[in-house]
Amino acid sequence: MLKEITIGQYLKRDSYVHRLDPRTKVLSAVALITALFMINDLAGYLLMVFFLGLVSYLGQVPLSYLLQGLKPLLVVVVVTYLLNIFTVPGAVIWQVAGLTVTREGVVIGSLIAVRLVMLVAVASLLTLTTSAIDLTDALEKLLSPFKGVGVPAHELAMMMSIALRFIPTLLDEADKIMKAQMARGADFESGHMVRRMKSIIPLLVPLFVGALRRAEELAQAMEARCYRGGEERTRFKQQTFGPGDRLAALSVALVVGAVVWTRVG
Amino acid sequence: MDPRKLTRIALIAAVYVTVTMMFQAISFGIIQVRISEALTVLPYFTPIAIWGLFIGCFLANLLGGFGLYDIVFGSLATLVAAFLTSKMPKAYLAPLPPVVVNALVVGGYLSIILHQPYWFAAFYVGLGQVIACYALGYPLLLFLKQRPSFLSFLRGDEQ
Repeated sequence: MLKEITIGQYLKRDSYVHRLDPRTKVLSAVALITALFMINDLAGYLLMVFFLGLVSYLGQVPLSYLLQGLKPLLVVVVVTYLLNIFTVPGAVIWQVAGLTVTREGVVIGSLIAVRLVMLVAVASLLTLTTSAIDLTDALEKLLSPFKGVGVPAHELAMMMSIALRFIPTLLDEADKIMKAQMARGADFESGHMVRRMKSIIPLLVPLFVGALRRAEELAQAMEARCYRGGEERTRFKQQTFGPGDRLAALSVALVVGAVVWTRVG
Repeated sequence: MDPRKLTRIALIAAVYVTVTMMFQAISFGIIQVRISEALTVLPYFTPIAIWGLFIGCFLANLLGGFGLYDIVFGSLATLVAAFLTSKMPKAYLAPLPPVVVNALVVGGYLSIILHQPYWFAAFYVGLGQVIACYALGYPLLLFLKQRPSFLSFLRGDEQ
């Protein structure tokens, strides 16, 4: 039952966007999301839709994949839209059973729904075109200037990579534990809320013990191989900032600049 | 950093993400509950768990969520809450910080993203956290408290 869960949503392709330095992509995503919150007119949204469309075309990401990332948020988007059209005061355009729909409500509700969709789309584009390991490597590099003020950049990235490596293993183990407990009469689905929540404990505890055992084994293996932190560690895959990255950074800067300019100008 | 500490933190993070994925957006009616938030009681036993939860929450939000806001502020909220939990003097207070901090912080940015009143978003998030942290987290804490062998394993005491 847990087989269909995929870790992250990385889509293996050999595209321009995939080949970009992950640092470029992380920083671009940050810039674009910040810009999304500054947009307050239709032109800005159209520009953003066009740009994200271009990125997904260049990244060979089919629209269906992007939409899949939206599925879990669909309810939130719809509820937010409805809440906004009914609660924002303004010119009444429709009235039914004590509820009023205002023009302002429809406008604000639509803008927020579009913004939400695009927020998720930016994050999805990042994780669809960048593998989780590349992301943690990029994070280590981006955080390393802060080492001086006590940010353990290497350790953080190392722990993230280990965690990512073990998630599929633990999902597998959780599946086995669930079946084993059900074979012993465990019931995860019935009863009132508190009871259902408590029924998860017999799942969590063995999962935890198994995870800690793996941590102990891994630590011994690392110690046996003389692991001593990030100093002098070399990499098989080097991240380089090339001409493609400059082009990407420039175009993101142009889009963000245009958004800021419409806001200020 | 000692590899035994490093791998423990990593695996606590992995458990957080695993549990998040297994019970993705479980909901009781309209209240969304993130089951993995029950693990926020762990810092009560060991400070190692503070970092495990922070990294776990970061990765879980990276793999699915509202984008940057969740990744940055959601994870930082978890970090602050976990730190406070580790300082709680009584067991029944341990699940309180993740409820309060998340309601205030996550509720804050959700109210901006979703354009809803602050108290409404904070209440909504808080309710989900109460279920995860008190209905599941607290019984879990009481269960683990009676198992010293598990706790010393968790802390990584030499055996």
